Amino acid sequence: MNIDANYVAYAFLNTAFIILISPLFMGVAKIVKAQAQGRIGPPLLQPYYNLLKLAQKERVYSNKSSAITKITPYINITIMIVASLGIPLAFAPENSGGLGNIILLLYLLAMGRFFMAAAGLDAGSTFGGMGSSREMSISSIIEPITIIVFAALAFTLNTMDMHQMFQTAAQEMSFLNPALILVSIPLFIVLIVETARVPVDNPETHLELTMIHETMLLEYAGRDLALMELSHAIKQTMLMAILINILVPWGYAREFTAPAVIIGMLLFLAKGIILATFIGLTESSMAKMRLFALPNLFIIAFFLSMLTILLEVFR
Amino acid sequence: MENAINEILHATRGRILESDIVTGKNRELYVHLEEKDFETVINFLSEHNFELAGLFCAEDFDGHEGHMLFYAFEKKGNEWITIFTLPLRMKRAMSIALTYPSASWYQREITDGFGVTFAESFDERRLFLHETYPEDFHPLQKTFKNKEIKLDAETNPSLAYEFKKVSGEGVYEIPVGPVHAGIIEPGHFRFSVIGETIYNLEIRMFYKHRGIEKLAEGKTPAECVKIAESISGDETVANAVAYCTAVEKISGIEVPLRAEHLRTAYLEMERIYSLLGDLAGMCIDVAFPVGASPFFVLREEVLRQNKALTGSRFMKDTIAIGGLKKDAPKGTLDALQAFLDDLRDGLKDAVSDVLASTSTIDRFQTTGVVRKELIAPLHITGPIARASGTLTDTRIDHPYGLYDKIRPAPRIFEAGDVLARFETKASEVLDCARMIDEAVTGLRHGEILTKGDIKDGYAIAPIESARGQSMHWAYIKNGLIDRYKIRTASFCNWQAIEHAVIGNIVPDFPLINKSMNLSYAGTDL
Repeated sequence: MNIDANYVAYAFLNTAFIILISPLFMGVAKIVKAQAQGRIGPPLLQPYYNLLKLAQKERVYSNKSSAITKITPYINITIMIVASLGIPLAFAPENSGGLGNIILLLYLLAMGRFFMAAAGLDAGSTFGGMGSSREMSISSIIEPITIIVFAALAFTLNTMDMHQMFQTAAQEMSFLNPALILVSIPLFIVLIVETARVPVDNPETHLELTMIHETMLLEYAGRDLALMELSHAIKQTMLMAILINILVPWGYAREFTAPAVIIGMLLFLAKGIILATFIGLTESSMAKMRLFALPNLFIIAFFLSMLTILLEVFR
Repeated sequence: MENAINEILHATRGRILESDIVTGKNRELYVHLEEKDFETVINFLSEHNFELAGLFCAEDFDGHEGHMLFYAFEKKGNEWITIFTLPLRMKRAMSIALTYPSASWYQREITDGFGVTFAESFDERRLFLHETYPEDFHPLQKTFKNKEIKLDAETNPSLAYEFKKVSGEGVYEIPVGPVHAGIIEPGHFRFSVIGETIYNLEIRMFYKHRGIEKLAEGKTPAECVKIAESISGDETVANAVAYCTAVEKISGIEVPLRAEHLRTAYLEMERIYSLLGDLAGMCIDVAFPVGASPFFVLREEVLRQNKALTGSRFMKDTIAIGGLKKDAPKGTLDALQAFLDDLRDGLKDAVSDVLASTSTIDRFQTTGVVRKELIAPLHITGPIARASGTLTDTRIDHPYGLYDKIRPAPRIFEAGDVLARFETKASEVLDCARMIDEAVTGLRHGEILTKGDIKDGYAIAPIESARGQSMHWAYIKNGLIDRYKIRTASFCNWQAIEHAVIGNIVPDFPLINKSMNLSYAGTDL
C-alpha cells in the first residue's frame, strides 16, 4: 500500500468533512419528523449543541463495569473514522490504499457492533443485556444480507473497492443502470437497520423495554456518550454516502482539485440533506415493526440483492 | 328494591332473613352476616354470579365495637349494590380469594391497614406498606393518630418482598422500575421471560402511597372534597362527584338540575381528555407519532375548554357538596358546543388515519388479549372490559346523576386486544361528545348549589371514571368523616395487565400497558 501526499490530504479532508456534517443529517431527520407531526422541532444545529453539552459533562460509571465500558467509546469512534476512509464522500484519490475494500468495511462495522454489545452487557444492567441480545440476534440475520447486498454492488460495478465503485459510478452516470436502482432499495434497508431507525428501532423512545440500539448506550454519560453518538452519526453518513454516490453521483469530483472538491462536498451536503429528509419521512410514515417480524423486512433486502446478482449474471 | 331483596333471599337459601337486611341511602342494601354462615353464603353468592365489587374494613362502625368487614357485591341487571357486613370478634376472618380472586389485594390491603388477618389466603405478603414500615404498624386503626412515623433504618429481611419465581432452563427475570425512563409514575414490574416471551409478570405498586384514607379521617366533609380531587389528577371530577354523591345521599341533599347537567358535561369532558391521551399514547408506543399528534392536539383543545369552563385545565376546585362551586362563565357553553363538532370531525379523521396504517394495525392486533373469562372474577371494568366483549358500565348498571336520562351507548368489541381497546376508546370519545351536547342543550337557568346540613350516616357511591368503575364509601360520625374508603378502577384493572401480557413479547409490554393506561396514584392512595 503506497501512501502519497494526495492520500494524506484526502484522509484529512474526508475525515474532517464526515465528522462535521454527520450530526447535521441527524438534525435534519429530527426536524422532518417533528414537522410531520405538526411540531416545530429542534433547531437544525441541536445535535451539535448536544454533543458539546455532553462533552462538558462528567462521566459516570457503574461500579460493576470493567474496562470494556471505558474503552468502547474510543474504539468505536476509531473504527468509524478508519471505516470512513474507505468511503470517499465527495472525491476519491487515485489510490484507495486498500481501505476501500468492502469486506474490510463489513468487518469494521461488525467489530464496532461487537464492542457495543459487550459494553451493553458490561454494567450488568438488565436493559443493557437485553439490548445486546437483541442487537446480536438482529445482526445475525442482517449481516449475511448486508454481504449479499454488497456482493450485488460488487457484481454490478465489477470491483470490490468502494473508491473504484464511486469512480465508476460517477463516470458511467449509473442512475441509468437499472441494476443499481434495484440494489439501492436493499441498501436503504441496510441503512435503516444499521442506524436503528423506524421500523426496526425507535431512536426517539423512552421505553427501555422496546429499545435495541439505545439500551446499549444507557450506561453512558458525558464525553463517552458524545463519542458514541458521534460514532453513530458517522456510521449513518457512511451508509448514506454509499447510497448517494452510487445512485446519484452527479458532481462527484473526478479530479483532485480545489474547485472540484468543494463543488463535490457542497453537492454531497445537498444530496445528504435530501436523503435525510427522505429518511425522516419514511420513519414518520409507519409504525415500528414487531421485533419478530423484522426478518420480513430483511428478506426484501435479500431478495432484491439476489435479483440484482441474477440480472448481472444473465445480462 | 323488592327485587333486589328477593334476589338475595333466593340466592342465600334461607341463611339470610329479611330482618337481616337494611336499606341504605343510595340504592344499597346492608346485609348482616354471621361468621358461622359466612363461607356458605359467599359460595351461594358465587354460584348466583354475584360479582365482588369491593371489600373494605371499618373500625367502631355504627355502634359496633371492633372491626367490621364490608363485602360489596353487584349483580348484572340489578341497580342495587349489596353490602354484606361481617362483624369480627377477633381480628380474624376467612379468606374468600379462592372463590373471588379479586379479593386477594383487598385482603392484603386490610391486613396492612387494620391488622386483620385472613385464614387460608394464598398470598399474605404486604401490599401498600412496603418493607421499610415497622412491624405491627397498622395506620388505619383508630388508635393510630396521623403523624410522622419512624421508619426502620434497615429493613427487616423477614419482611422482604418475594416475587413469584419461575424456574426452568433459560428463564430469567427482568426487573423494571419503580423509576422509569419517561415521566410516569412509580411501579415495579417483574417479568419472567424466556428469550423475549413473557411467562409471568408481577406488578408491585404502592410506591406512591400517601395515606389518603387516613388523611380524610376527622376532617369535615367539605374539606374532604379536596382530598377526593387529589386521588388521581386526571380523575378529579369523577372522584369528587362520587365522594360528593355519597355525602349528598347521606345528608339527603338534592343537587339542583343545572348543577347535574354541568356535572355530567364535566364528567364527560374529563373522560374525553383521558381517552384522547390513551389513543395518542398507543400510537406513540408503536413509534407512530404522526398518528398520535392529532389526538394530542384535540386533547389540548379539550383542556383549554375545561379551563374556560371551570378556570382549571383539570377542573379542580369545581365540584362541591350539593352542586358546583361556580357556574360556567357566559358564552363558554356555546363555545363548547361549537367545539364539539370540530372534535368529532377531528377525531374521526385521526382514527381513520391510524386505522389505515397497516403497520400500526399489525402491532395492535392480537397484542395483549384480556380474555372475557377474566372480566368478572377480577372485576375488570371500563373500556378494558368493553373491549373484551363485556357490557359493563356503571353509568348503565347503577345510573347516577343524569345518566338515567342521558344514556351512554357504548360499543362493545370482542377481541380484547390492543386494537379492540383502541377502537373502544375512540368510539367512546364520540359517545361522550354526544352526551355533553345533550347535557348542555338541556341546560336551564337556575341554582347551582343546594346548601344543606350534613347528617351522620354512611353511603356508597359507584361511578364510571375514564378507567372504569370506582367506588367511594363514606361514613360520617358527629359531623366528621370517620372512614372514607376509595376503590378506584385502576386497583382492580392492574391485575388485567398481569394476565394480558402472558405469551406476548417484552417489547410489546409498554404498548399493552398504555392501552389500559391505569393510574398509579389512584391505586396507591
